[in-house]
Amino acid sequence: MALQSPSPHASIFGKKKKSSSPMPTAASYLSAVSEADARARAHGSTPNSTPALSLSSSVTSSSDETVLDEFGVDTNDVLSYPSTPPTSEQVFTTIHSEFGHCANESYRYTSQHRAGTPYKSYPEQDPPYYILLTTYLSYLMVICLGHIRDFFGRRFRAQNYKHLISQNGYAALNSDFDSFYTRRLKTRIDDCFSHPVTGVPGRTIVLLDRYSPDYNVTMVPTGTRTRGLNISSYNYLGFAQAKGPCADAVESSINRYGVSSCGSRLEGGTLDLHQQAEALVARFVGMEDSLISSMGFATNSTIIPALVSKGCLVISDEFNHASIRFGVRLSGANVRMFKHNDMASLESLLREVISQGQPKTHRPWKKILVIVEGLYSMEGTLANLPVIMELKKKYKFYLFVDEAHSIGALGPHGRGVADYFGLNPRSIDILMGTFTKSFGAAGGYITGSKALIDRIRVHGHSGCYAEAMSPPVLTQVIASMASIMGISPASEKASSSVLSLSKGEPSVTEMEKFPGTAPMTVLPSWMPVAPSMADGSDGYVRLRRLAFNTRYLNRGLRKLGFITYGCDDSPVVPLLLFNPGKMAVFSRLMRTRQIPIVVVVVAYPATPLVTSRVRFCLSAAHTKDDVDLVLTACDEIGDLLDLKQGSGDRWPLKEIIDRAVELVNMPELA
Amino acid sequence: MSIAKSGLDPLFALVSHSVEVIETNFYKLPGSAVIARYVRESHRDDPGRTLLEVILIIFAIRTLLQSRTHGESQSKHFIKFDEHEIDELVHEWTPEPLAPALDATEQADLDAVSIISGPTGPKPKLNNGKTVLNLASYNFSGLSGNAEIKERCVEALRKFGLGSCGPPGFYGNQGVQIQAEQDIADFLGTEGAIMYAQAFSTISSVIPAFCKRGDIIVADRGVNFAIQKGLQISRCTVRWYDHNDMDSLEHVLQSVEKEHIKRKSPLTRRFIVTEGIFDQDGAMSDLPKLVELKLKYKYRIILDESLSFGSVGRTGRGLTELYNVPASQVDMLVGSAATGLVACGGFCAGSDVVVRHQRINGTAYVFSASMPPMMAVAASESINILRNTPSLMSTLQENVRAVRAILDKVDCITIPSHPASAIIHIKLGPSSVPAPPMTPMTPMTPASPSRHSKPTSVQPRDAPQFDATEEERLLQEIVEDALAQGVLITRAKRLRGQELIEVRPSIRLAVSAAMSRKDCEKAASVVKASCIKVLNKRR
Ligand SMILES: Cc1ncc(COP(=O)(O)O)c(C=O)c1O
Repeated sequence: MALQSPSPHASIFGKKKKSSSPMPTAASYLSAVSEADARARAHGSTPNSTPALSLSSSVTSSSDETVLDEFGVDTNDVLSYPSTPPTSEQVFTTIHSEFGHCANESYRYTSQHRAGTPYKSYPEQDPPYYILLTTYLSYLMVICLGHIRDFFGRRFRAQNYKHLISQNGYAALNSDFDSFYTRRLKTRIDDCFSHPVTGVPGRTIVLLDRYSPDYNVTMVPTGTRTRGLNISSYNYLGFAQAKGPCADAVESSINRYGVSSCGSRLEGGTLDLHQQAEALVARFVGMEDSLISSMGFATNSTIIPALVSKGCLVISDEFNHASIRFGVRLSGANVRMFKHNDMASLESLLREVISQGQPKTHRPWKKILVIVEGLYSMEGTLANLPVIMELKKKYKFYLFVDEAHSIGALGPHGRGVADYFGLNPRSIDILMGTFTKSFGAAGGYITGSKALIDRIRVHGHSGCYAEAMSPPVLTQVIASMASIMGISPASEKASSSVLSLSKGEPSVTEMEKFPGTAPMTVLPSWMPVAPSMADGSDGYVRLRRLAFNTRYLNRGLRKLGFITYGCDDSPVVPLLLFNPGKMAVFSRLMRTRQIPIVVVVVAYPATPLVTSRVRFCLSAAHTKDDVDLVLTACDEIGDLLDLKQGSGDRWPLKEIIDRAVELVNMPELA
Repeated sequence: MSIAKSGLDPLFALVSHSVEVIETNFYKLPGSAVIARYVRESHRDDPGRTLLEVILIIFAIRTLLQSRTHGESQSKHFIKFDEHEIDELVHEWTPEPLAPALDATEQADLDAVSIISGPTGPKPKLNNGKTVLNLASYNFSGLSGNAEIKERCVEALRKFGLGSCGPPGFYGNQGVQIQAEQDIADFLGTEGAIMYAQAFSTISSVIPAFCKRGDIIVADRGVNFAIQKGLQISRCTVRWYDHNDMDSLEHVLQSVEKEHIKRKSPLTRRFIVTEGIFDQDGAMSDLPKLVELKLKYKYRIILDESLSFGSVGRTGRGLTELYNVPASQVDMLVGSAATGLVACGGFCAGSDVVVRHQRINGTAYVFSASMPPMMAVAASESINILRNTPSLMSTLQENVRAVRAILDKVDCITIPSHPASAIIHIKLGPSSVPAPPMTPMTPMTPASPSRHSKPTSVQPRDAPQFDATEEERLLQEIVEDALAQGVLITRAKRLRGQELIEVRPSIRLAVSAAMSRKDCEKAASVVKASCIKVLNKRR
């Protein structure tokens, strides 16, 4: 089971061994880049810019800025330098370790549901029985061991148990029974959780190495750092960047606004930035109005109580996020759950609750609110919106879709799950989302009709009591959203009728059009706008890169024979491990590879007991090379840990890597 | 006895028969002999373990079988319909609208919310172009817009980007968040601290992390909304004492103790939950007395210092500094980095055990992205400045005194706030209060012999009657009048109908150290004039 923690020495594994693979050295790389830049400049191929927009300083072609970073760790590997230096046509403005350089236009795809086909995620495969059996046995074993250790520990090491039992008339804060799982199971693999990091959580991430002298009870930093490929952060569109147009915008906002808005929205904390951001969010999502809250979790927990109350019923997917449950519990409404994404179960539940009415009294429900997530962060499945919309018509419930993970990450325009399925967002009552994921910011929003949002402004908890979102965060939201949308220059209404042919003139109907561009008028006038942001090319590339990486990893893993959950187009890819022991080993093996890969492993209680998993989160910042790297690593470790239990046609690793484009573009996976 | 026994005999026979059948079938299975031998031997060696294992197996099976969506179809209230009837019922059902439109007052209130154009601070510009004196925003220490903090934040931006892109458990902790937690702990003098991404969500996560069903919480009747929500989520037993009344607290503690002894109930966790400076009226808790009572009756204390941290004490450490009580005496000290440190987020400081427990059980900590690294840096820098510049807090206190000196003399209003509190609540004075609507008084409970309110009910014994709508209207008039004179103030916004006890409407001023003494006096005079104008007009 290999459950013991790694030795202290293992934590310096990050130290580079001399690699035999042909890796470019920093010096050769730099010279190649600067040559390429020089050639590019000679050709005068500066990116085309829109005259109406201020040119910002963000397009730099100085090569060192795009590759070096201040941490000075591992500057000598593929994580910091692309394996192939750029050619003369390619001008990269991002730092490779933050946002990978990838110019190959065939490594692009569009995230879209194929019209006319029913939505389906991979059938959930059951592993062979021996895997299930050993999984249960593993749990049984560690539980027994835990009890035995507690039995003796309590007698011989009483001081370690002091805080778990009543003393001096105080009951224990956390009784030994309540904390058993944490103490005796989770602690064994604690080195896989809560790893402190530093730097930008972009394409790569820098781990602050640590080791535990006492079997994971305490963690001691060693002072060294390891850069690893980051396939864990919710950075779907790669907006976690310390350099680039968004960061420039944020910097000017800090200088202008400071860092706080000093109060709640209704008590003097509303800035013009809040209004601008809300207008933009509403337009981005395609709804009438929106409200921004300073924390994604609180968006759910403070707003759901404003929508439903006693006498109402909430029907919730069994795998809904903790924040939704929190909000529903505060609301006082009744709750029923249906089996994850099972539309038959939802329908029969609907029939039951509508016909039965409220418990005991049988009065009809005041309202029924169905809450689903656009993209489930542990499952990789999408809400089956087409069917839910059918049911909505028939059963007249209100629909709340939490797009925390899907907004930005799904759909041809990045507008989330409705965009993915080609549905009109306004046919959904409430779309909620967060900025912590795709937009590299913080906080959340809720959108809907104007009447609804106004009601939430007044009756939601956050308007009166919670701090308003701070200006730099708002700016990141505005800048990243605008660069996905593209910006239409400020228009004089009068001239629009004359020059209506010229592209980008938002006429009245165009303001309403979905998905539309960000009108210059709703953006802060002081915000620097980069050309790539203005023409929407930046966002366009991000969306298509993410869609490619997503489909490639999903299908690659399947072809290798792994059991994964979810939909092909989901940037969240859960790979099933089952045995709890394998979780720790998988995570450690990934982290100690020559090119370390940073992964998230999750188990009970976040998932059902048997389906422990590793969860990959793809990003537009990854390149195909990165996904190759992940596939290679999974291939090796999968053999070692006997993880390839999936059914279906298998390809060897090399074939997958070579035929990646074909694999991604196949309509159905055989 | 014997009758019962004979009645059970057939049952025993049945059981023994089925055991036999199972046994023979079991031995037919391949490999069963090994298991049987193992069980027999282990049972001989350690009978306790067999029991344990059996329990474990049963437990595992139960977990497996337990369906997560338990229907109500078995309940006795279930009515059976056929498909056709259901279709009809579905067809007939019409839901209420999801969001009824706001009524006129609510809409007017919403429209009246001032919008600051550009940075906030002591003299912000509103979106109508007017520059005003700001007595509304929480900027006690005056650090909003501080140049050093801005510089630190830009540095952090260039190093970390903006978002943390993950919860703390999954690589969302970029070192600076840990540093900020450490800074807060050092500043207060506790073993550790934990930061949440939003102040409002902090205490409503802290309380349920520790208090479970069966635990006892003794809470002030005037606690803020976030605490009320925390209590609601925790589902523990709550006993109430009168707002900021230590006698009442002691009385409740005694009554809980009596009940405990009478019922011989097992020892459960017990907490006192209250605020440092109350959000509702600016009153201040008597911390030394609280600590004395907590130690005497063996309670833990959860103290919400959201408004006192960063506003009272020599360097802004809050009540513990003001009263010179070691922060370690307060088991869970909750504060706001958003108001106190002019950054964002909230924290809970306490012992290592308290902090570590929350890293796994604090819902809003575990299931939410960690705060942006830049904000953590801003918090650290604010602490640094507070620590090194005691003049900030002395300026703040001078400003508070200046404002109070003017407002305390106005006799048409009352100010329930503590003289040192940087938030000042203005309520209508007895002379200007509109008559409460003649509600049929809550049926007088036969005067109980004790002068205390009932601890089990959140309603105090004689709740004041007031006409909230009319009072709010008057206060709003004052707010608007002051705004016309160039002073931004705000009514204390409340969710009417959702608070456990209706709070008497008030105007809430927030004094800032960033404002000059002269401006404070000017602003206070304007507020005073507006109060007199509006309230005297009525009379
Ligand atoms: C579905 C869902 N809703 C809400 C949230 C909370 O968002 P935040 O991390 O911004 O607080 C999350 C984050 O994990 C989520 O997955």
